[in-house]
Amino acid sequence: MPRTTTLECPGCPPLRALTFDELGLIKVTEARSKQGGGVAKVVDRWGDPDASKCVLAASMDDRKVDPLLAVARRNGTIDFLNPLNGDLRLSVTNVTEGGVQPEEAAVSGLHLFAKQNLELGSRCCTLLTCTTKGNASIRSFEVTKSAEDITSAGSSRTWNVCAGGDILCSKVDNSERYSLFGGKRVEMNVWDLENCAKIWTAKSPPKNSLGIFTPTWFTSATFLSKDDHCKFVAGTNSHEVRLYDISAQRRPVISFDFRETPIKAVAADMDGYTIYIGNGSGDLASVDMRTGKLVGCFLGKCSGSIRSIARHPEFPVIASCGLDSYLRIWNVKTRQLLSAVFLKQHLTNVVFYSNFADEEAKITHPAADQLHQEEHIVPGTPNEDDGEALPVKKKKSKEKKRSKKEAKAESGNIEASEENGGKKLKSKKSSKRLKRDDLDDEL
Amino acid sequence: MGYKRKKSENEGGEEPKPVEVEKEIKKRKGILPSMIKNKDKRSAVHAKLKQEKKLEKRKKVKARDAAEKRALELGEAPPKKETPKTIENTREEDETVWEAYDEELFAGNDADEFSAILKRESKPKILITTCRFNSSRGPAFIEELLSVIPNAQYYKRGTYDLKKIIEYANKKEFTSLIVVHTNRREPDALLIIGLPNGPTAHFKLSKLVLRKDIKNHGNPTSHEPELVLPNFTTRLGHRIGRLIRSLFPQEPNFRGRRVVTFHNQRDFIFFRHHRYIFETKETKHTDAKGKKTKDSKAETITEAKPIARLQECGPRFTLKLISLQHGTFDPRGGEYEWVHKPEMDTSRRRFFL
Repeated sequence: MPRTTTLECPGCPPLRALTFDELGLIKVTEARSKQGGGVAKVVDRWGDPDASKCVLAASMDDRKVDPLLAVARRNGTIDFLNPLNGDLRLSVTNVTEGGVQPEEAAVSGLHLFAKQNLELGSRCCTLLTCTTKGNASIRSFEVTKSAEDITSAGSSRTWNVCAGGDILCSKVDNSERYSLFGGKRVEMNVWDLENCAKIWTAKSPPKNSLGIFTPTWFTSATFLSKDDHCKFVAGTNSHEVRLYDISAQRRPVISFDFRETPIKAVAADMDGYTIYIGNGSGDLASVDMRTGKLVGCFLGKCSGSIRSIARHPEFPVIASCGLDSYLRIWNVKTRQLLSAVFLKQHLTNVVFYSNFADEEAKITHPAADQLHQEEHIVPGTPNEDDGEALPVKKKKSKEKKRSKKEAKAESGNIEASEENGGKKLKSKKSSKRLKRDDLDDEL
Repeated sequence: MGYKRKKSENEGGEEPKPVEVEKEIKKRKGILPSMIKNKDKRSAVHAKLKQEKKLEKRKKVKARDAAEKRALELGEAPPKKETPKTIENTREEDETVWEAYDEELFAGNDADEFSAILKRESKPKILITTCRFNSSRGPAFIEELLSVIPNAQYYKRGTYDLKKIIEYANKKEFTSLIVVHTNRREPDALLIIGLPNGPTAHFKLSKLVLRKDIKNHGNPTSHEPELVLPNFTTRLGHRIGRLIRSLFPQEPNFRGRRVVTFHNQRDFIFFRHHRYIFETKETKHTDAKGKKTKDSKAETITEAKPIARLQECGPRFTLKLISLQHGTFDPRGGEYEWVHKPEMDTSRRRFFL
C-alpha cells in the first residue's frame, strides 16, 4: 500500500462549470489557467437551500450573445436564468396545465432549443420538456427584461411519448429535429419534433440462452455524433451499453456490459465515436463505439454514483458529478484527474459554459495570436466578473464576423496546444502515441 | 521479501534528500544494520544502536523531569506537555469535514430521510430480521439487540426476499430495518435500511462479544437509553450518525442511566452499552503544598467527591462501513452514495467517517 496520498492535480484549462444539486442550489465553479495554477474553485452560489426545489434537469443554450439556462425543479417550476450572473429571467410552472400533481409531473428531460431562437428573434425561447409519465411538450416563452412578466407565446404542442412506464432519459440531437426517449418499461424511441411523430422504436433484445428476459429499463442515452441522428447510445439498468442505428436495424448494433451497477450517465465526445459512461458505483470510463472496446477508466477515488457527465466543447476535458458531492474534471486524452471540487450536496447535473475561456483571453489580448491564446494571458488580469457581461458581448459580436471555419480551426488549435501541454506532463509518452493523436486531430 | 522492503525503505528515505544531507546522515549513523549481511555483526550493531537510543531517551526524560521540577520549585508554569503524535491527530486534511453553522448542512439535515424522527415528529419502529440461515450466536445476538433498541421487533426471515420484507415493513410503518447476516453461525454483517426511502448502510460486523461473556456485566432495564456518537466528522460520517441515531427514540429516560455508545475511531465504529451511576465517595486528599513546607504537618482533608462508575451490559461489537446506498436495498440496480474501493486506501491517515 503506497504511503503517499497527495494526488497531483495538474490543473485545468480556464473553464466555467455550473452544477445543480438536490437542494436546488446552483454552484458556479471556475478554473483560471494562470491564476492559482488552474485549480477549480467555487466562485458563486445561486438560490437558497430548499429541498422542494431539487433540480431534476437542466439545459443550457450557451450561444455567445445572451445565453440562457433552463432548470426544472421538483416542485414543478421551470426557471430560466442568466448563466452569467444567475438572474432569474422567467419562471413558469409545469403543474397547472394538466392539473396533475407535481410528483407525477416530475420533469425527466429538458431541452432548450438554440436554433429556433435565431428565427423568431432573440427574446423568444423554445423548450422541450418531458415528464416521467411521458407527457412531452414543446412550448415557447417570451423572455422579457423584467422577471415578472410571463408571456407564453402561442405555439405549444403536447403529446404523449409512451403508453405505460416511466421516461427516464430523453435527448435532442444537434440539428434539433429529432428527439429520443426511453426509460423503465419503455423501449428507446425516436420522434420527429417537427410534426410530433414517432419514426422509430427499438426492439427488445432476445431472451438469453437460459430463456431469461431482462426487463427494459433505460437509464441514460445520447446521440453518438453531431451531424447524424441515426446512431445513438443507451445505457441500461442491467449495466449494459447499447449502440442503436436507426438506419440499420431495430435491435442494438453493439451491446456490451460495463461493471456491475447500472449505467447512470452517458455522454458523447465530439469526435463521433468515443463515449463516456458513468455507473452507479462511481466508475467512469471511455469507450470507443466503433468497436465497443473499453479505452480506459478514469481513476480518482470516485466513491459515489455518477449522475451527470459533460464534455467541454473546446478543451479535451470532461466533468463528472454525482452522489459523492464532488465535481471532478478530467483530461480526456490522459484520463487524468485535473481537479476535484467538493460541493457539499448530492449533485444532479453539470453543464459547461463554453464561452468562458475565450472571454478571458479576449479581454486581455483582443488581437492576440490565436494559436497561443492561452500562453498570452497575463497573470495579473482583472477578474472579469459576471457583472461585466456587456463589454464581452461587444467583442463577441465582432467575433461573429469571422467565418465558422476559422473558429473551428481555432478550437482545433486550442485542443492541440492543450494536448501538447499534457504531453509535457507525461515524459514517458512514446512517439507512437503522438502519431495516433495527430491522426485524431485529422479526424 | 525482507530484501525488497529494505530497498524500498532506502529509496523512500534517502531519495528526496540532497546528497550532502545524505552523506551527513551516513557519517553519523554509519552503516545501517539492515545493510549488513552477516547476522552476528548485524545483531551486534543493532543491539548497540538500540542501547544508544535507549540511553538517549532516558536522558531526554531526565532532562524533562528536571525542568518540570525546577519550574515547580520556582513557582513558574511547568513546561508544556507535548501531545503524542497519533494516527488520529495526524489525520490527513479532509475537505468534507463539516463545520458547525453551515447553512447548507442544516438545510440538508431538514431535507434528509431521518429528519422526521430526529425532530421527534414520529417515533422509530424497528424491524429486525436475519439472513436465511440463522443459528447459534445469531439469535443470541438478536435477543440482545432487542434489549438494546427500544421498540424493536424480531421477525423470522423465512424464505422471503428482502425486497418483499421491505414492502411489508413499509406497509406496517416501520421506520428502519436491521438485517443481521451470519456466516458459519457467526454474525458478520449488519444491514441498516432506512424506511420508506432512506439509505441502506452495509456494515461489516466483527469482534462480537455477547453479554454473558462479559465479566461483571449488568442487565439492562427497559428505559430509553442515552446516545453517544462521537467523532463522526465528515459529511458521510454525519449521515451515518444520523442513520444510527434514527434507530433510537429521541427522548432518553435519564432515570434508567443507560447509555449506548457508537464511538467512531479511524472509521471503525465501536458499539458499547453501559449503565452508569454517580456516587459520592469520601477520599483522603493530601495537600500538595504540605510536602514542600516541611514545618507544617501534611494535612489530610476528607472530601466527599462525586465519582461515576460504569458497568458494561449488552453486547460489544465493532462495525465498519462497507457501502452506503441511495434508496432502499437494491444490490443490482442501486446507486451508491459511497462505496469503499481499494484505490481509496492510499494512506493509513485517511478516514472517511
